Amino acid sequence: MPDQADVESPKDTTGVFARDHVPLPPADAEVLTTACEYCTIACGYKAFRWPVGTQGGESAAENAFGIDFPSHEVMRPWVSPSQHNIVRHQGKPHHVVIVPDHDASVVNPKGNHSIRGGTLAQKCFNPQTPTRDRLLYPQIRVRGTLMPVSWDLALSVMADISKWIIEKYGEHAWAMKTYSYEYFENTYAITKLVNQSIGTPAFSPHDKPSATNDAVGLDDAGINSFSACYEDWGMCDVAVMSGTDPYETKTTLFTSWLMEGANPSKKLIFVTPHRTMGVEYGLRNGGVWLPIIPGTDTALHLALARIVIENGWQDQEFIDTWVAKPWEVNSGYGRGTRNTGWQWRTTWGTWQSDWEDYKKFILAQEESKLEVASKITGLDAKDIMRAAEIMAKPREDGSRPKTSFMLEKGNYWSNNYMNTASFASLALICGAGNRPGQVISRGGGHQRGMMKADGGSGYLSPEKYPGRRKKSLNLDRWVIDGQAKFCWVIGTTWIPAMLASQDLADALHGLTRLNANQVRRLDRKVIVETFKKRILSGGMVLVDSDIYPVEPLNTQLADIVLPAACWGEADYARCNSERRLRLYSKIYDAPGDTKPDWWAIKEFAQRMGFGKDGSYDWKDSNDVFEEAGRFGRKGVLNYHPLVTEAQSRGVRAHDLLRDYGTTGIQTPIRKVNGDLVGTKRLHDPTIKLEELEGDTVHMKWLYSFGTHSGKAVLLKTPWKFSGWIDFYNAVKPRKEKNEIWITNGRVNETWQSGFDDLRKPYLQQRWPYPFICINTEDAKTFGIEGGDFVEAYNDTVYIQTGQPTGVLSDDLTFTSLMKRGHIKISDGQFTAVAIVSDAIRPGVAMANFNFPGAPANSVCHAVPDPVTNNYRYKLGRGRLSKVGESPFKNSFTSMSLKPRPII
Amino acid sequence: MKTDDHTSPCSSEGHAPACADLGVSRREFLLSAGKSIAIVSLASLPGYTLAQEAGQKAKLAKYPRERIGGIPDLETGVPVTLQYPYDSVNCLLVKLGVPGGGGVGPDDDIVCFTTICTHMGGPLEGTYKPEHQVLGACPMHLTTFDLTRHGMVVSGHATESLPQIMLETEGDDIYGAGVMGLIYGYGSNLEREI
Repeated sequence: MPDQADVESPKDTTGVFARDHVPLPPADAEVLTTACEYCTIACGYKAFRWPVGTQGGESAAENAFGIDFPSHEVMRPWVSPSQHNIVRHQGKPHHVVIVPDHDASVVNPKGNHSIRGGTLAQKCFNPQTPTRDRLLYPQIRVRGTLMPVSWDLALSVMADISKWIIEKYGEHAWAMKTYSYEYFENTYAITKLVNQSIGTPAFSPHDKPSATNDAVGLDDAGINSFSACYEDWGMCDVAVMSGTDPYETKTTLFTSWLMEGANPSKKLIFVTPHRTMGVEYGLRNGGVWLPIIPGTDTALHLALARIVIENGWQDQEFIDTWVAKPWEVNSGYGRGTRNTGWQWRTTWGTWQSDWEDYKKFILAQEESKLEVASKITGLDAKDIMRAAEIMAKPREDGSRPKTSFMLEKGNYWSNNYMNTASFASLALICGAGNRPGQVISRGGGHQRGMMKADGGSGYLSPEKYPGRRKKSLNLDRWVIDGQAKFCWVIGTTWIPAMLASQDLADALHGLTRLNANQVRRLDRKVIVETFKKRILSGGMVLVDSDIYPVEPLNTQLADIVLPAACWGEADYARCNSERRLRLYSKIYDAPGDTKPDWWAIKEFAQRMGFGKDGSYDWKDSNDVFEEAGRFGRKGVLNYHPLVTEAQSRGVRAHDLLRDYGTTGIQTPIRKVNGDLVGTKRLHDPTIKLEELEGDTVHMKWLYSFGTHSGKAVLLKTPWKFSGWIDFYNAVKPRKEKNEIWITNGRVNETWQSGFDDLRKPYLQQRWPYPFICINTEDAKTFGIEGGDFVEAYNDTVYIQTGQPTGVLSDDLTFTSLMKRGHIKISDGQFTAVAIVSDAIRPGVAMANFNFPGAPANSVCHAVPDPVTNNYRYKLGRGRLSKVGESPFKNSFTSMSLKPRPII
Repeated sequence: MKTDDHTSPCSSEGHAPACADLGVSRREFLLSAGKSIAIVSLASLPGYTLAQEAGQKAKLAKYPRERIGGIPDLETGVPVTLQYPYDSVNCLLVKLGVPGGGGVGPDDDIVCFTTICTHMGGPLEGTYKPEHQVLGACPMHLTTFDLTRHGMVVSGHATESLPQIMLETEGDDIYGAGVMGLIYGYGSNLEREI
């Protein structure tokens, strides 16, 4: 950024800078296809690259778009100044312009895009921009300060100490905390190391404390979380969105498909305490907003189901055909008889149901009564009734509205099992699940980039469900308890993303920096001896791979920091939330000594002696991609037929995928009459299964539900289930302490892009500091005005300790854990800038999730759902107090504090 | 094909900028953070000499200075439509009622912005919300802009603030004197016959 002119107002922290021109790509610029790095929708993008020294002209013949500038039409190709950068390509300076693909007909038709993807060019490394703080070489912490070292020293030390730890303590003591989505090449390499070579149960993905599913109730109903395609959201008559507003978190799914699509006049029903822009749009177009009290969705679903049943609005034909009958349910919960997820969760007799039994259950529940549910959820009974009518009431001619059901984290991160199970059941009786425009699906968070290697050592987990069935290991608890001696973190902030974040940070400090044994010189043997002493005295060695400094993980804690090459710096592949597989092209030279994570894994594995059989001999990311394909054959992300097709043609699989451009191909990929065919929607009975051909795999869930019988299972969810209600009662805001709910959420401008946003000048100006959205009444109570710095504080944060084992059915309930000494009480706080508005229901404040330096999850309780081992991330609480006025309160240049839902 | 007029590239092989380019071309504007506007001329940039631009053919164009309204004619919260810097570029001149970045007039609250959405060119005419000093939502994809903060995106998808018309006053007369930010659909605001 240039020098700023004199700043007149002392309140302003930054200046404003805006260019009034941008270089246009010349007609002969190279064109590379990719998809957006950030949210789960993954819009198609094109990168134009050309050497510095030339640029395109304004007439159609002189630029790569082939249009005359200025152009006066909407949605024509245009380059905003944020879409241009200067990068290095093959060692030489090049212009790069990264713009949405205006030729796209899928995902983001006509080049629609978000502010995040629209600023991708700004994430490209350029030392003249704020990206200059990229990690560029491996480092080892010497007496508190990170010092540059070679990859060889860093990886050799890691291998030396890992061998010693595994020998002395066993593989449990070697832990991995990693992203689950950062491309198939990397995730496959990581899980190959973890599952096959090391064989440790101490593994958890970025968004969970243990290796579990997300929307587990959907899973148990037989519904794949990513069964829908975007066309479904475009063509439905009604979209029910629970715990999410796709406007904020899935931008073009909202602006291209929910606002448009085959049926632009669809009605939107939102269940969220926050009146966001999408909610506002929905309300203005005949929809309903249900501003629910956090955590009470199950009661709402029970009430909605009761209204549907009492009025006979259910889709009986669908139920008769597609909902499991009693014997089909009892045949191992509909999912097979043994050794399945449902069985491990050991909910014998509690949940599974058939239509007649489900009806009886719903009608017998006190909490399904409209007035009772209205009280629990804090919703107006009339709104609940109206929502039920819109989603399920047949029209006068007897036809039914095509209703689709979407859920996301407000739903499954507040009462994980029950909210997802009750949502699935409600949606099923409304006839959704397997037809065009009638689907049940997650909206999605990150893109789908996990390609898991076979194997795994979950059976080594010390945690057990009642009945002593398998339960995955909670890595947070494992580390805090000192059981992990070595932990490698890859591409996740870990600490602020998990709960009771400040307590987790304290524990990690204690295990690493506060231990007396700190590296004092860069000698391999000396370092390893120091680490041995550290571990023998109860400490841990922490390694972090990332692209930037991450507070506090690698800035304060990690002993070894490895620099990664990211999006645009190597060829990678992954799917989006409609399982659309694309190649994400390398655009520019990976800076400094950065390397793709698969390369670091390979080098580490070889130093561990795992590569002696040649199993880590990958030369490039395509080698990993091709190997990984085999391991996804039975999954919904199966791209193996593309690999074998490429091999039969004598081309690289990455190159064949590159030919599919931004359109890509939807997995699972099948081969039909010699052609590769994508799969639009899962569980879809209209899919005609062709003859098995080559590497095609026919899985039952392609054309029926993912259960033993192929029929969906209705699930009963009593509001007072002992694994929920005592926890919920314990974490509710306490009136006597003047507390409110402090939940957390996202805004469109910084979603899934937080790691880059502070390095993008425009987004940094928009959101220089995290917000907390507070209702006007609550703000008055706490004496807070918009623009004030606010502290949120919870003096009672519950944290589960140890690895509690269940034997009897109630052993893992909150009350039981408390009695058995498995709950400790801590406290937590964070600060944020207040945005005061009526866009949030009174008694609930929404904080900016996972903003660097402001861990909003510190006020949330680290006690997982005993059924699924997932955290209840949304159920924070506390009181608010004014810290003082922020510099943004009266700024002209930073952080607009205006209300967002303005249409 | 035209010669590059952009910032000279830096070596990214090393880890520090290899050139101390100002990162600003002669056609770019710097705006102070406060209420006053400074259109910085090339010669006034410290350390910046014409020699550094040798060999480049960038035009020394400038924006027209045109009277676009009168202070007494403006009613708080009621926008006036006008065209600047060209007849094809619709703008909105409004007295916000509260001070705004770049605001002129006795209350520093008169501002002017183009009304073409910087996301995908949607028309923002008729979307001004006087109670919030916000322009939008754009009818195409629902982006809103904060006119008190130099047209910053409040919510939505535009990757640039709304281009702001630089205002100057002489007595009661309001003049348009430049544009901060690239107008949607343009490669350069000045790249045309004036």
